Amino acid sequence: MAEKELLLSVQDLKKQFGEREILKGISFNVNKGDVVCIIGPSGSGKSTLIRCVNFLEQPTDGVIAYCGKNVLETFKNLPLYRTKVGMVFQQFNLFNNMTVLENCMVGQVKVLGKDKETARNTAMKYLEHVGMASYINAKPHQLSGGQKQRVAIARALALEPEVLLMDEPTSALDPEMVGEVLAVMKELADEGLTMVIVTHEMAFARDVSSRVIFIDQGVVAEESSPEEIFSAPKNQRTKDFLSRFNLGK
Amino acid sequence: MATMPDSFFSWVVFLLNEYGGVLIQGAGVTLLLALVGTFIGCVIGLAVGIVQTIPEDPNAGCFKNSLIRGVKAVLSSYVEIFRGTPMIVQAMVVYYGAMSLFDIDMSAMFAGFLVVSINTGAYMAETVRGGIESIDAGQREAAVAIGMDHFQTMRFVVLPQALRNIMPQIGNNLIINIKDTSVLNVISVTELYFASKSAAGVYYRYFEIFFITCIIYFIMTFTASRILRWLESKMDGPKDYQLVEYDPMADPCGHFQVTNKKGR
Repeated sequence: MAEKELLLSVQDLKKQFGEREILKGISFNVNKGDVVCIIGPSGSGKSTLIRCVNFLEQPTDGVIAYCGKNVLETFKNLPLYRTKVGMVFQQFNLFNNMTVLENCMVGQVKVLGKDKETARNTAMKYLEHVGMASYINAKPHQLSGGQKQRVAIARALALEPEVLLMDEPTSALDPEMVGEVLAVMKELADEGLTMVIVTHEMAFARDVSSRVIFIDQGVVAEESSPEEIFSAPKNQRTKDFLSRFNLGK
Repeated sequence: MATMPDSFFSWVVFLLNEYGGVLIQGAGVTLLLALVGTFIGCVIGLAVGIVQTIPEDPNAGCFKNSLIRGVKAVLSSYVEIFRGTPMIVQAMVVYYGAMSLFDIDMSAMFAGFLVVSINTGAYMAETVRGGIESIDAGQREAAVAIGMDHFQTMRFVVLPQALRNIMPQIGNNLIINIKDTSVLNVISVTELYFASKSAAGVYYRYFEIFFITCIIYFIMTFTASRILRWLESKMDGPKDYQLVEYDPMADPCGHFQVTNKKGR
């Protein structure tokens, strides 16, 4: 396999909320084309970690490097960096005052400065991709959870980011809607989109990801290929955690 | 002069004939003061509210952060002072203060606009701040995550939603202003109350004149509140949407215009 291009590198990331230390020095790398799933028990710091990566939370310490360069030094203004690192939220967070199409256009027009024509075409391309093209006139509150999340994915993709961060994208969904979102995510993974996904969907992590990071109590407890971590976890805490999931093939 | 009116209603009719024009003119001034004052007040309130909600940026320099903090302190003292003193006193201080301190002889009308605007601005600033804070933090995060800065986030995402939520409060302010501009009679602005008082003095028919005045005030406030209700429902937009059944890729510029914004 050819030498992989290093896209994102997190080095010794620490995050404290008041006295409470959530992340106690986390390091990992994301190469171009990687699908990295971050798993771990609730409260282990997974969401905080992914939110630190695009500075929605300010890390207390540590370095986040994009293409080998420290983000805080290279990008004088974070907005530019954030357009390269897309984000999908657990609660979708579609802009309630805009239609589906406008949701997917606003970033392109206002942030990237594209003209409306181009922005519309790009938005339509990705809405088509997630199967929401016929809903362009709907407002977010008129959509189901799964539809909202698919639009949110299209909104993030419309900026054509290098990496897509996903913070528990299916955790707020009714069970019957999880599948449609996972299907879209799998498709994106197959197309080679680089993704970092915080998830509780173990079957998805096992089948789709190229690497799995198990986080517990603010540290990386184990990191390896999905085959290894799901069939022969080394760490006792990983074993305990995974034993709670029934992962019959 | 012929016989004078002898009953309440004949006095009302008589005074309406005599002073209707004056009262209507006064009502016009009242409405003008209230509308302009509320509008400028809203603009001030929006500006102050946006600045008050600028988050501290831990990556920005020390200078920038302390500058923002300084501006915020000035703005919040403005809000506290103008919310914490009566408008009738503010009118006196501004009108006579400008004259004796700075030798500015502003017209009473100008002083009126000034006082109503900055007074409303102080209230609106708090209303806007509340409106902005009522919007789910996820909306702001999503905007930031696609690369918007604070002002873009406010302009395109938060304020359109916050404004809808504070519409009832803007309506409140307009109605309060229609009524409370009456205090400007102390600096002899010829608004409705001033006009009524003058008219009442001629025949000493206070009850009859102020009965008419009362009705005029109510007509103005009631109309204002209905119009605002209508505006609110208009802002809510259509309840339904249309699926785009044809292939949207086929005509990527057509469908956006085809969706008439009303959609009804």
